Order: sequence, then C-alpha cells, then structure tokens
Amino acid sequence: MIDYFILIFRILIFPGFTFILALTLFCDWIERKIEARIQNRVGPLVAGPGGILQPLADFIKLLTKEDIEPTSVKRFVFKFSPLAAFAMMIFAFCFIPIDGASVLSTTGFTGDLLIILTFATIANFILFLAGWASNNPYGIIGSTRVLTQFLGYDIPLYILALSPAFLAGTLSIFGIVQSQTLPYFLLVPWAFVLFIIVMQAELEKDPFDVPHSESEVVGGLETEYTGAKLAFIHLTRDVQVVFGAALVVTLFLGGPNGPVFFGLPTFWHALWFTLKVILVVIISEYLTTIFARLRIDQVLNLNWKIMLPGAILSLLATLAVINWVIPLVM
Amino acid sequence: MQKSSEEFVNAIENKLNGKIQIQIGTLGKAAITANNGIHRDLIKVMLEVDDQTSIVAITGLDLGTNLGVYYHFRSQSGYYTIKAEVPKDNPHIQTITDLIPGALFAEMEGNDLFGIVFDGHPSPGRLVLSENWPEGVYPLRKDVIANQVKLVPPKNVAAEPDDNKTVKIIIGPQHPALIEPEKFSVSVEGEIVTKVEPRLGYVHRGVEKAAELRTYIQDVYLVERVCGICNGPHAWSFSGAVEKILNVTVPRRAQFIRVITLELNRIHSHLLVLGHAGLEIGYETLFQYFWRDREPIMDLIELTCGNRVYESMISMGGVRRDLKETDSPKIKAVLEDLRKKIPFYKQLYENEPTIKARMKDVGVLKREDAISLGVVGPVARASGYAVDVRKDEPYEVYGEIPFKEIIYTEGDTWARMNVRMDEVEESINIIEYALDNMPKGPIRVDIPREILAGEAVNACEAPRGELFYYVKSNGTDMPDRVKVRTPTFANLPSFFKTAIGGSIADVPANFVSLDPCFSCTDR
Repeated sequence: MIDYFILIFRILIFPGFTFILALTLFCDWIERKIEARIQNRVGPLVAGPGGILQPLADFIKLLTKEDIEPTSVKRFVFKFSPLAAFAMMIFAFCFIPIDGASVLSTTGFTGDLLIILTFATIANFILFLAGWASNNPYGIIGSTRVLTQFLGYDIPLYILALSPAFLAGTLSIFGIVQSQTLPYFLLVPWAFVLFIIVMQAELEKDPFDVPHSESEVVGGLETEYTGAKLAFIHLTRDVQVVFGAALVVTLFLGGPNGPVFFGLPTFWHALWFTLKVILVVIISEYLTTIFARLRIDQVLNLNWKIMLPGAILSLLATLAVINWVIPLVM
Repeated sequence: MQKSSEEFVNAIENKLNGKIQIQIGTLGKAAITANNGIHRDLIKVMLEVDDQTSIVAITGLDLGTNLGVYYHFRSQSGYYTIKAEVPKDNPHIQTITDLIPGALFAEMEGNDLFGIVFDGHPSPGRLVLSENWPEGVYPLRKDVIANQVKLVPPKNVAAEPDDNKTVKIIIGPQHPALIEPEKFSVSVEGEIVTKVEPRLGYVHRGVEKAAELRTYIQDVYLVERVCGICNGPHAWSFSGAVEKILNVTVPRRAQFIRVITLELNRIHSHLLVLGHAGLEIGYETLFQYFWRDREPIMDLIELTCGNRVYESMISMGGVRRDLKETDSPKIKAVLEDLRKKIPFYKQLYENEPTIKARMKDVGVLKREDAISLGVVGPVARASGYAVDVRKDEPYEVYGEIPFKEIIYTEGDTWARMNVRMDEVEESINIIEYALDNMPKGPIRVDIPREILAGEAVNACEAPRGELFYYVKSNGTDMPDRVKVRTPTFANLPSFFKTAIGGSIADVPANFVSLDPCFSCTDR
C-alpha cells in the first residue's frame, strides 16, 4: 500500500509532474534573465522576487484568454495535439533519473535511451500536426520547417547519443549514468560539443530557429493558436528545452551524480541534477543570443554536410577511445 | 565623364535644335519644354550625353485646360526638368518606362492622381488610391474637393487560377516583418521567389492635396507628418523650396543648426534600421544594442529641438530654436560615446559568421540597375553608384564641411548596412565640425505669409536617400502644388528586381536593407 502511495507521490509531486513543471518554469525564467542581461536589458522584474514567477504568470494569463477556433481547422487534431505533445514530453522526462532513479522509481530497462529519443521525436511530430491542422499558410510552412529540420537533425542526434552508450556498454539510461564515475564530456569532449550544437537545432533555438522566424512565417505553427492551447504549446516548448538540457546532463555530465554530504541522498541528487541542467540551459541560451538566425537551406546544409559526417567521425573517435585509450589508463 | 551643366545643355540643344525650349536656371539647372513624343527623344539624348541620368519624379500639374507633366531628372551635373503638357480632355502621353525602368511607379501615380494616361505603360493600375475610390475622379485636379468624393464598393476581382507549383505568400498589410501596412504577394516555388506583386497606398493620406489647402506655415508641420523618422529633411526640403522661390538666404548660424538637426536625424534613423535589420535576421541581441545606443541620440534631439521625435525645428527662413552654448559639450560627449561603439559593430559585421551568411550576396543590386531604376541614398551608394545630394548639390553649409562619401561596391544587404554604419560615423564628424565652426548671429529671417508666384525644386539627402520637393506658388498664402518624392518611393522598384530568384527567407533581410518607409511612400 505504502509503495503505491510513494509511486503516486513520485509521479505527481517529486520528481514527477510538479517538479518537472517547476523546473521548466524556473529554467524559462533563467533563460529570459540571461538573455536580457546579455542584451543589456533587465528582463522580467515584476512577478515575484526578480520576476521569478513571470513564466507562471504568462502561462496562467494565456489559460484565461479567449480560445478561438477558426472554422477551417481540422478540429480534432487542432484541439488535442498541444496536449498530446505536452503529455509525450512529460512522459519522456519520466525515464530520466532525476534523483538517482527515474520517476517510476525503476532503474528503467535496456534500450530506454532509444525510447525517450523516440518520444521526443513523436512529440515534435505532434507539434507538426498541430501546425498542419491549423490550415493556415504560415502554420503549414512553419510546421513543414519543423519537420524538415527535426528529422534531419535526429540522425546526428541518435548517432551522437550512441557515444555515451558505447562507453557505458549499455543502452539503458540508468546504466549510462551509473558508469559515469568520470563524466563523459571529459572523455569524449568532441561528442559533447557536437551534441550541444545538434541539441540547439533540435530545440529550434538560434541560430537554428527557422520554424519560428516571425519575420517570414509570423508565428509558424502557432499562428492560429490562442488561449489555453497556445499556453500548452508554449509549455511543451519549454519542457522540450529542459528535456534537451536534461538529456545532455544525463549522457555527458553524469546525471544526478555528485557528492552527498548529509541527509537524504535524493535531495542531493536532485540538486546536482538541477544545477547541471541550469548550466546547460545557460550555455544554450548564450549560444542563442550571440547568433543570428540561419536560413532554412543553410540549416540543412549544416546538417547534412557537417553535422552528419561530424557525428559519424565522432562515433569512430569514441570507438578508438574505448578500444585503445581506456585500456591504457585502466 | 563628368560634364558641366552648360556642356550638358549645349549638347542637348545641338541635337534637338528647334524642337525644345530651354530656360536656364529654373527648376534645377534648366527646365526644358518639350511636347508629347519629343520628350522621349529628349530623354534618349540626355541618356546619350550622360549615362548616369536617372528619373527623380514625375510631377502632375493642373494648369486649367491642360495638365502639366513635369519629368524631373538627375544627371551628374545637376537636376533638370522636362516640361510637357497634355490637354485635360484627352490626357495621353507616351510612356518612358522602356527608356528608364525607374519611372514605373511614378507614372502609375500620375495616372492615379491626375488621370494622365501613359500610353504603353507595362502595368497600368492603381498604385496609391484605394479600390473603393470612384473611377474618373482624380484627387489632385483642382476641381475635385476631396471630402465630397463618394466612395464606391470595390469591384470583385476574379481570383487567379492556382497552379500547383507555386504558393502565394501574402506579406502584409499586417505582418511582423513590416512595421507599416503595405501588401506584397510573393509567389514562391519551393523556397524560391518567382514573382512579387506590390499593392501600395494603404497609408495614402493625400498630403499633397492637403498641402494645397493650408498656408505655408501650416504646411511645414504637415509635411513633417509625412514621415515620423525623417521629419527633419521633409521640413527642410519644403522650407528650402519656398526660400528658393523667394530667393532668400538663411543666416549662417541657422544653416549650421539646420545641418546639426538633419545629421542627428540621420544618425537616429540609421541606428533604427540597423537594429531592425538585426531583428529581421533573428539577431535580437544586435537589435537591442543598436536601439540602446539610439536612445541617447533621441535625448539629444529633445535637447536641441524640444521634441523627441517630431523636431519642428526647421522652418521657412531659418530655425525655430537657438542652440545654447552649454548644450555643445553635452552633444559632443554623447556623440563621442557613440563613436567608440561603432568599431564594435563594424567588426561584428566583419566577423560574425551568421550575419555574413544571412547578408552577404543577398539581394545584390548591380550598379547599372541602380542607375536605371533611379535608386537613391545608402542603397545606391552600396551598389557603387555615388549619389549623395550633400556632395552633388551642396545645400546649407555642407559644401564647406569636410566629410567622406561612403561608397561600397558589393551592392548586397551587407554593404547597405555597412554604408549606414560608416555614415553614422561621418555624421558624428559633421556635427562636431558644425558645433566648432558655428558663428554667432541671428537664426532666422522673416518670410512673408504670401509667397510670390513661382516654382522651385529642392532636394535633400534624407537618411533614406534623396528627398525631392517641387513647390509651385501662386501669390497667395497657400501653395498651388506641392510634390513630394520620397526616397523609399525611388528605392522600392529595386526590391522587386533583387527579390526574384532569391529565397523567401531572404525577403525580410533584403527588404529591410532598403530602410523602407511606407508612410513616406504613400504620403
């Protein structure tokens, strides 16, 4: 009985839904603050101390806004895809060991790395459907751009995600985290750098934010969305950003590993995990602010001509490390 | 080879002896009267004599029984005007768009506002008037009273049949890439632009007509409202034209203050578009930085003129406010601060890979095209076409102030932005020189309320390029005709040339590099 209780607590409160949501909104605030400071602005300031509640306030504000459904949309997909995408992202998050174990307090299963990458892909595909169903030229162009970019960059992403898996000798996320006594970004820094760049493209942030380039496609796939649906699309985007950061942390920065000083190890693991996620978010936001947006053809050129060969070379270099460097050290 | 205006006029006179009449010294360097048909020969001769001759504007005039069609040209030796007349009941004149493609919009506008039919025009149709404006009512004719015109419901235009290969993307009238309302239907095949169809006139306010119904003093403020950003040059061009009719010389101190005002206006306008370009290529940081640096300049405008945006500083006969002695060090300090920041932006444009990826070789306008389309300002100078009114026809004290004319030869978006950055630096130099060399003395002379009959053209180098005014007075306190040719009106045709064949993603960056201003264009 108590087991069930703990499980429900873990899913709903910590480290599940509520914690992920809080982390997402917090990271959103950090992003906005960092971006503002780099751009010589102040950023959010009013809601809460230092404007920390601004993302929450924005979310609630959107929830209360009028929800308009244009007549030409494909009703069913239009209505449910924002929620479905959001649910998909949260579900993928549940496999990431935040406080030492995954949300379902299992150690996962072999191959769950592939599962969460697939979930992330599906979530993006659902967002594509959202734009497609809105039946608006900007929405359609925006969502085809999402698909073009996402599918292209998925290939190097999967290949790069294999590096830690090869190093750990397993496709299980828990296994990868466990074997990182030395964080992998020290062992295979090239894979880490490439992974960060590919992640930037996956998350559609500058210089890869072509699906959202408002000067060309207005709101992209969000053009027809209003009110609560828009709130959930925004939230999905934010969760995606944190999920991307969490993936980097898990694969290359040792996940929740870190020194435990006193009290509950769960607390310390979650703290280390959060701090690392924030670090990655800051790096990603820094990249966003210092670059201009590329054109869609330039983004794809970069994908197929540099990122894909780069990912394959990186994998070969990782294999070389596994076969020749590690035996020397051990 | 550069020719003096005498050589230019003589060459024309020799070739077309007897068919034309030349009045030296009016409406630019010379006004040449030519009838329908002859005007085409004349333009051909002008192009032969000086291959850098390009159209500035076509002014329509209501002369009672006749309609006047004045073609204003700019050649290397100065401005020339061809006067032609057509009868009002049969207002047909041959087009010149085949000789000078830049006349395309100007002729459409003449058709809209005066009902002059340009025979052989490639795309006749409405340019500035709205669809619900009744046929056969031409607002700038004297017999039309604008507020008694009954609007009619617009005709339904049959939609063009779609073909499967092209997608039509409508940019505007409301679109994040455009700050002001104007519509461009862009046909794309995949991501490549195949056709651009403009629809202008969304912010046509009839300033030219309104100017005829107001006194000269009111008109100074009216023409300032043509454009919020470059309001100073508008006020100057109008006042300067009136001063030319009256043959008035403005006191030297006022001339220096006018130069300072105009250059402050240029700096703030250039910084505005530099920032806006950053936004269009998704570089928000650049946008924020440029606009941060623009803010102190706005404060300077407030300090010198009393207003932050609408300067209302330049008026007929001089300026309205004197510059205090104590203001000079304040202005210099702010400008010195800005000067220090420019190298940072320069090296950013030089080294930042994503800026170069988005701006280099985007929207390349060749020099020949720039000349034939009559492009002006930074856009022309980025294509290696040296046209700067401050250098070509120095007004006020620009002749004695040393400054460089910025020329780039690449002709792409990147070059246009660099021209503006360098010009900000030159403007700082000009203001500092003006502050140092400003004499003491009166700041204005009296101008009568009723202006003697006469006509004058006046051009000014506004931030966006050459701003051209034609003013005709009739001895009363209201002008007979005020013609405004804004720089964006001249620059827009180049966009349709450079956008086609490029990517749809390049359209915003290419477009904003013209620094378009639609409230100027539509007036």
